[in-house]
Amino acid sequence: MTTATTAPTNRLTPRPRALAAGGLNSVRRNPLLVVLALMVLVFQLTTGSFLDPGNLSGIAIDAATLAIVAVPLALLVISGYLDLSVGSTLAVGGLVAGWLAGQQHQPPLVAVLGALAVGAAVGAVNGILCCYLGLSAFIVTLGMLTAVRGLAQQLFPLPLSSFGSGFAWLGGSRIAGIDAPVVIAALVLVAGALFLALTPAGRHVFAIGVNREAAYLSGINIRRTPFALFVVTGVAAALAGAIKASVLDSVVAGTSGAGFELTVLTAVLLGGVALTGGSGSVFGVLLGVLFLGCLQNGLTLLSVPTFWQQMAQGTALVAGAALAYFGPRLTR
Amino acid sequence: MTRSPYSSPASRRQFLALSGGALAATALAAAGCSAPDDGASTADAADASEGSKTLTRIGLDYPFTQLPLYSTLVKLSTAAAKKHDVSLLTTSDAGNPDTQATNLTTWITQKMPAIVSFPMVFEATEAMAKRALDAGLIWVTYGGSLEHQSADIQFSFLEGGTLLGEAAAKWANEQLGGKGKVAFLTDGTIQLGRERTKGMIDAFTKNAPGVDVVAREQAIDPDTGLSKSRAVLAKHPDLNLILGVTDAAAYGGFKALQQTGRKATDAKTFVGGQDGAAPSLLAIKQGTFYRASAALAPKDIANAVVDVPLAVAAGKANPSVQVPITLVGRGDTATIDDLLAQNS
Repeated sequence: MTTATTAPTNRLTPRPRALAAGGLNSVRRNPLLVVLALMVLVFQLTTGSFLDPGNLSGIAIDAATLAIVAVPLALLVISGYLDLSVGSTLAVGGLVAGWLAGQQHQPPLVAVLGALAVGAAVGAVNGILCCYLGLSAFIVTLGMLTAVRGLAQQLFPLPLSSFGSGFAWLGGSRIAGIDAPVVIAALVLVAGALFLALTPAGRHVFAIGVNREAAYLSGINIRRTPFALFVVTGVAAALAGAIKASVLDSVVAGTSGAGFELTVLTAVLLGGVALTGGSGSVFGVLLGVLFLGCLQNGLTLLSVPTFWQQMAQGTALVAGAALAYFGPRLTR
Repeated sequence: MTRSPYSSPASRRQFLALSGGALAATALAAAGCSAPDDGASTADAADASEGSKTLTRIGLDYPFTQLPLYSTLVKLSTAAAKKHDVSLLTTSDAGNPDTQATNLTTWITQKMPAIVSFPMVFEATEAMAKRALDAGLIWVTYGGSLEHQSADIQFSFLEGGTLLGEAAAKWANEQLGGKGKVAFLTDGTIQLGRERTKGMIDAFTKNAPGVDVVAREQAIDPDTGLSKSRAVLAKHPDLNLILGVTDAAAYGGFKALQQTGRKATDAKTFVGGQDGAAPSLLAIKQGTFYRASAALAPKDIANAVVDVPLAVAAGKANPSVQVPITLVGRGDTATIDDLLAQNS
C-alpha cells in the first residue's frame, strides 16, 4: 500500500519541482527565460522580421514536434530513465502513418492510430527491458535506436509520398486560427504539467528519480510508472513522426528523425531537467524547446554561414546550459 | 523481509564507464555484423587478380545506407551481377567513415576479389586502395578517382549542379525578366555535395546575374530544407527560386513555399533539385512549380558497378565509365516514368 508520495530531500539531492510559480520566482528558477527573451530581442533588432507572425508560426510548427516528444521524455528522465530511440521511433511512426494513408488508402484517423500503436510497441519493449528486467536504459534504447531504424529501412526502403488531403489535415490545418501541430503540442505541455503537479503518479516520478530505494520502501510501484512513461514517450515520438510526414507529405526511412534524439534530449536538459533524475519542470522543457527553435531560426534569418552557424549553436547551447545550472545556485 | 528490486543509482563515473562500454560494444557489434559473408575460398582472390578471366564475387561498399538510392542500387546491382553469375556482397557503413575503413580492411584481409568503393574520405582511402592492389585485388573507385585503383566509376556531380543552375537561370530570364530572388540549399560537408553546390551556384549566378541570391543554407534532407526555407521566406516572402543540392532538401523548400500560401502551380516560382528522387519526380510530372531535377539513373549506376570490375578482370583497356546525369523537366514524361520504374 502506498504510504508516502513525496521524495526525501537533503542538501545533496535537488528538491522536486513541479510547475514553477509565476513572476520573479519563475525567472530565478529558469534563467533560460532571460536568455530566451534577450535572444528574441537581438534577433528582432538585427533582422527586423523575427517577430513577424509568419516566422513565429514557422518556429512554432518546428518546435511543436520537438515539444510533443520532449515532455514525456522529460518525465522519463526525471524518473531516472532515458530513451535514446525516439529518433527512429519518430521515423517508423511517420512511415506507418504515411503507408496506411497513402498506399493503403486508410482514413487519416486509422493511419495515425496505426502509427501510435507502433510507437507504443517500441516504448513497451523499452519499458519491459529497462523497468522489469532491469537492463540499462542507455544501452537498451541505444540498441533500439539502431534496430528500429534498420527495421524501418528494411520495411520501407523507398521514400513514401502523396498521402492525400485528408492526412494533410494533421500537419497543415488550423484550429481556432492556430496550426494543428501547435495545438497538439500545447495539449501535451498542459497535460504533462498537470500530471506532474496534481497527480500522485506525478509525485511518484520525482520520488523514483530522486531515490529509487526510498521510493520502493515508501510503497511506490517503481516499475509501473516508468514503464508507462516509456510507452507514452514511444507514442509521442510516433505522433511527432506522423505530424512531420503530414507536413512534408513524404517520409524517408533512412533520414527521417535522424539525430532527433539528441535534439530532444538537448531541449530537455537545457530546460533544467537533471540527467540523474529527480528534478525538472515542464515549463523548463518548454523554454528549452523554444530556445532551440528560436536559435536555429534566428541564425538562418541572419544568413550566418553554415559552419559559423554550427559554432554559434554549440556555443549558445553550452552557455545556456551553464546558465541553467549555475543561475539558480547564484540566486539562492 | 522483501528484497527491493531496485539497483543503486550509478555514480557519474559508473555512468561514463557504462556509456563508453556501450559505445565500444556498439562499434564492435557494427563491425562484426557488417563483416561480409565469406562465401568463397581465398583461392578466389588469386584468380581474381587483374587480367584473370573469372570473377565470382564483387563487394559493393556504398556508405550512405540511409539514402533511398542505397536499396535501389543494391537491388539493381544484385540483379545485374546475377546475369553474369557473380554474387554481390555489401557493407553496412551507415554513413560512418570509421566503419567504412573497418569494413574495407575486413574485405581486403578476406581477399574479396573485386571491391567497388565510394570513399567517404578520398585521401584516407588511398592507402586502403593500395593495400587492395598489392594483394592482387581489383579496386574500383566509385564517385571519384584515387591514385591507386584498377578503374573508376565517375559521375560529374559538378555537371549535375551546372545543368540545374543553367535551367533555373534560363527560366528566371524568360519568366522573371532576369530579376527575382533565389535561395540555395547547399552541402559543404562532403566532396559530392561541394561539387554539386559549386556547379549549381556558379551556373546560376553566371547566367542570371540580375537575380538576387538571398540565402545559401546547408540542407540535404526534407526536414532541414523545410525549416530553413520557412525562415528564408519569413524574410523574403517574395522568393522566386529554391535550388537544392539534393531533391530531398528541395522538396522541403517546395513544401515550405506551399505552406506559406504559394499555389503549387504558381507561374513565378521555380524549385529544382538533384538526384531524381521519386517524390520530386512525381511533383515535376504533376506540373507543379517543382520544375527540374538533375537525375541519375539507378540502372546505369548498377550496371557500372558490375560491368567495370568485370571489364578489369577481363583485361579490357580503359574500363572506367562516366555515368550520365540527365536534367528532367515537365515535358520529359517518358524519362520520368522510366526513372520512377527504376526506383520502384
